[in-house]
Amino acid sequence: MGKILIVDDTLFMRTLLKNILFSGGHTIVGEAGDGEEAVAKYQELKPDLVTMDVVMPKQNGIEALKAIKALDPAARVVMCTAVGQEQMVKLAIKSGAKGYIVKPFQAPKVLEEVKNVLAA
Amino acid sequence: MASEFEAYRGLFVAESRENHENLVKNLLILEKGPDQNAIDEIFRSVHTLKGASASMGYAEMERLCHAMEDVFQLVRSGSAEVSEDLGNLLLACSDVLEEMIDDIEGGGDSSSKNADDQVFALKDWLGQRGKVTEAKKAPAKGKKKEMTPPDAPAGNGETPAGSMPEYTMVITVSPECAMKDVRAMLAIGNLEALGTIRSMTPSKEQVDEGNFDGVLNLTIASDAGENALKTAAQGTEIASVEIRPAHGVAPEEKSPAAAPRKPAEADRKPGAADKSREIKNLRVDIAQLDHIMNLVEDLVINRGRLKQIAEQHKIKEMDEAIGMVERSVSELQNLMMLIRMIPLNHIFNRLPRVVRDVAQYDGKEVEFVMEGGETELDRSVMDGLNDPLLHLIRNAVNHGIEAPDIREKAGKPRKGFVKLSAHRDRDNVIIELIDDGAGINIEKVKRKAVEKGLVTQDAVDTYTIDQAIDLLFQPGFSTADKITDISGRGVGLDVVKRSIEALKGTIRVETTPGKGSRFELLLPPTMAIVDIMIVRVNGRRLGIPISSIVEVANYEREGTHTIGKGEAVLLRDEVLQLLWLTDMVGASDVCEILIVVQYQKRKCCIPVDLVEGKQEVVVKPLSSFIGNTRGVSGVTILGDGEVIPVLDVNTM
Repeated sequence: MGKILIVDDTLFMRTLLKNILFSGGHTIVGEAGDGEEAVAKYQELKPDLVTMDVVMPKQNGIEALKAIKALDPAARVVMCTAVGQEQMVKLAIKSGAKGYIVKPFQAPKVLEEVKNVLAA
Repeated sequence: MASEFEAYRGLFVAESRENHENLVKNLLILEKGPDQNAIDEIFRSVHTLKGASASMGYAEMERLCHAMEDVFQLVRSGSAEVSEDLGNLLLACSDVLEEMIDDIEGGGDSSSKNADDQVFALKDWLGQRGKVTEAKKAPAKGKKKEMTPPDAPAGNGETPAGSMPEYTMVITVSPECAMKDVRAMLAIGNLEALGTIRSMTPSKEQVDEGNFDGVLNLTIASDAGENALKTAAQGTEIASVEIRPAHGVAPEEKSPAAAPRKPAEADRKPGAADKSREIKNLRVDIAQLDHIMNLVEDLVINRGRLKQIAEQHKIKEMDEAIGMVERSVSELQNLMMLIRMIPLNHIFNRLPRVVRDVAQYDGKEVEFVMEGGETELDRSVMDGLNDPLLHLIRNAVNHGIEAPDIREKAGKPRKGFVKLSAHRDRDNVIIELIDDGAGINIEKVKRKAVEKGLVTQDAVDTYTIDQAIDLLFQPGFSTADKITDISGRGVGLDVVKRSIEALKGTIRVETTPGKGSRFELLLPPTMAIVDIMIVRVNGRRLGIPISSIVEVANYEREGTHTIGKGEAVLLRDEVLQLLWLTDMVGASDVCEILIVVQYQKRKCCIPVDLVEGKQEVVVKPLSSFIGNTRGVSGVTILGDGEVIPVLDVNTM
């Protein structure tokens, strides 16, 4: 079970994801509403895993991912994405994302991905 | 599926409304010209709406958002521009979206709103556009291929791959996986960390472009061992991984423990994570807030009661204790008022859209400016303000601003100017709507009023401009020559006036022919708690809001003059009409005091027997059961439990 930082610009999505992860026994150490905040929180909280939304204000998920990877090459970042964003996710994976989950979130899939990425 | 998400409905609706508002706001910005930031904002809002609605299982809303997102993807990439037609289409979509959010708020799931037309129109637009973008894309693809040849040949890296054992692998991605190609890329990435991929079908390039059906065949050179490779390829949504030594060569299997797959963990510091986060803002359900407000009101009533008991029994300690309670209650009251205040932008934000629609419908050109949207008003006042304001704005564009050609002939700029501003004036909030249109045609107003039988020709001839303007607010008056879709819906300014009066506000109009009009709304910051003067007439108690009282004077019967049917007194060189409350409480012959009240510029006086005092009370509206009662704004409970009516001077 890991310590997780949730990054998404909507409280709705964060709450949804938080409850799913919580039900899987994970600890939510923090939340961030945009890319810049995500990078700052990552440095501060040093989570085991980050769930990263792609489309966000200020700094999008890809930019935040790159910034986090620059700080910590071993960072485990799981992208939160939606059907139709394949290219974005591929870009994220080339930039070092370790996994992805697809909206609408299905709790078992989210938990499986998080477990696998934490285990890798 | 929806039931497990029921708890999120409120949050969903609240955030969706914000996103919808953002969407409309930025669509209007785009109408003025290209703006990358607006495009990004629209994309983000639509994308968020799509994700959230999908999560909640609101399929119809998701479908519409998806189609809108597809369109905006093109706009964002610069392959398309937002034409006027597209702008209109997207605004129409946003209207449907709003209806869907309303539906969801009411307990629905958006399926009762059909978005077929909009989705079809969006798809249609994409269809036309698609060919163009394909053509644009094609050369780019070619270039990419030149730069990085597909199926990168083995052995060009630094790894001495030649000596490593080779394996063939077949990786099958689960059929339910939403993005098979992405899953494949993750597996490829993991394998590349362990060795060198010699060949692969489909190629990495093809996978990158999305040409992947779920099965990946590859040959990899690696000394990590069979088990490590298998583990690396496995993962979420990978249905199966088959691995066997290539070319029939049996490699020496390394012990799994030796698998060099160990991400750097050293720099992870545990402990720092449990720091608690401070939450500065809360979202509170408005129903709960109303409930708290009701409780505060009860407290106010009972505080008055306690105070009275203490006075009756002359208990000094209790008096002191009540003094302390009073302070806390007052503070609580003020705090509740503050919490209930919301910025006018809440309703202002919708108005640019209204102006745009009306102007476009009428073929007019209008520059619309808003100021002071940050001014705050009580939520209950805000709720009642929306419709009247909408009506006035529609009127300003529809009736006020002239057609561009007419304006030009009159020596004005083609573009009309409408300004909505708000500011605070002592306790009140003043909202001003100015247009530089034709102004109100007083003669036309008078003529219409006579035609409609609202007033006789003789009477109208003696009217001042203000009196003539007042005719506009008479029920059944409408100067529009024909009823239009936009502003003439059978409701006129009389409804506007009544709505504003229901909010304890006033409305005033100034007009200059040819130069334009100015509507001024004066609104109290809150309606719930008011200061009243308690008076007694014929043994009955009544409340009169202090805010409308200008003076309290002695009344001498001898000074009464009869003018026509009414009575008047001369007070400080002013003739003031007497307003007897006989109809309400019966005749009284001991009236010794005059309460002079003022509404706008008109003053009159109410004779009362005596003044009992001043009190801060909660005015509860009369139930709709009793119906419309002009002259009474509601009732209040005094400290001794008596229920008394509170007069509404504005409508008397």
